[in-house]
Amino acid sequence: MDEIALVQSAQSGDLDSFNTLILHYQDRVFNTALRILGDEDIAQDAAQEAFISAFRSIATFRGGSFKAWLLRTVTNACYDELRRQKRRPTTPLEPETNDGEEMDSPRWLADPNMTPSEQFEADELEHAIQHCLDTLPVDFRTVVVLADVQGMDYSEVATAARVPLGTIKSRLARARLRLRECLRGFEELLPSSFRLEEERNS
Amino acid sequence: MKNFRDIEQLSSYLDGQLSPSESARLESRIASDPELASAFNDIRAARGILRKLPARKAPRNLTLTRQMVGLKPPLPRSYSFFRFSTAFATFLLVLTFAANALTQLPLMAGSGAPIGGYGMGGGPVVQAPAAAESLAATEAPAATEAPMAAAAPSLEMTAMPTEQFSADTAASELPTAKQMGTPPSESQDQLRVNAERGAVVPVAWQIVLLALGLVSGMVMLALRRSAKQKWK
Repeated sequence: MDEIALVQSAQSGDLDSFNTLILHYQDRVFNTALRILGDEDIAQDAAQEAFISAFRSIATFRGGSFKAWLLRTVTNACYDELRRQKRRPTTPLEPETNDGEEMDSPRWLADPNMTPSEQFEADELEHAIQHCLDTLPVDFRTVVVLADVQGMDYSEVATAARVPLGTIKSRLARARLRLRECLRGFEELLPSSFRLEEERNS
Repeated sequence: MKNFRDIEQLSSYLDGQLSPSESARLESRIASDPELASAFNDIRAARGILRKLPARKAPRNLTLTRQMVGLKPPLPRSYSFFRFSTAFATFLLVLTFAANALTQLPLMAGSGAPIGGYGMGGGPVVQAPAAAESLAATEAPAATEAPMAAAAPSLEMTAMPTEQFSADTAASELPTAKQMGTPPSESQDQLRVNAERGAVVPVAWQIVLLALGLVSGMVMLALRRSAKQKWK
């Protein structure tokens, strides 16, 4: 895929070229939105909005990493969605006990339809990680999703999150530390390699 | 727990963001400091877990349609020409109507007076030849009767022209009376002539402009419709 040619063509209004770019990036864009927002349907809408917004403003793209530029529109769409949610709060996903308190156990995250145990564990771990991501402040969450989930380098993260490089380093370190603290609560779900490392160090 | 500066350095070290000398210094500190080593493993574990998080596929294709982005069909180059000609013809047509209306206003005001107050405005124009005729009539006898002026009494001399003047005046007033007898048809003719003379742009031109505007507009619409159909 000749990304530069497709971008240039899209800049001159060719929607087909832009759709080719979408097909290439849609999983990455959706995944980013999913990890920041924590809900599949909302993430899908945000990703769609991001692509629409990206096509409309593609003339403003002046070279550099197209992926970083595209993910910036996604993070913007996610911020917009989170602001909207703040204005109109919805019922939390967590089920409540009879006393009206939220359940802390990760067991509520289990999908009863999944029968293979490995799939079950993988899903539970994914839910646990998502739960921990959701506890992070949104700025930290965005940086850690872009750097660790998407595997972007610091300069790309800085472009996508529109913050200086020094802030990226600081936010990433804090986010990783907080995530580690949160994931301690789901120790039994963590892969053996991570647990062994923990035991070896203790 | 180590201070935040150390944590930040450990995090940057994991991402390969430290210089070789900084990395070497940190590695030796990790080797000698169990607390720093523990923090290092914590951050590495969190980073590792996140990087192993399965990438989820988009549940559906997120490709865009033209409607979603509000794209309009590409129109042929001739479209802009027809759009311009439609606008220009309409503008000119309006301009001709305005120009004709403006030029006819003073004519209407000038020739409107005889209709409103008949004989006041038109009177002098029609009576002017009558006055000239009466003046000539008064002068002519005076000139021919000049040799008799000495013999004839001055009263007669003056009486003759006066009578003739009154007779001529009565005769000269005939056209005026005639005009007074048949005022509407003549006045309307006069108005029509004045209106035709006063119209800056003839009606034929206005019809041409109207036709041009309509044809251009219709071609424009047809081009747009065919572009939309081709786009689908």
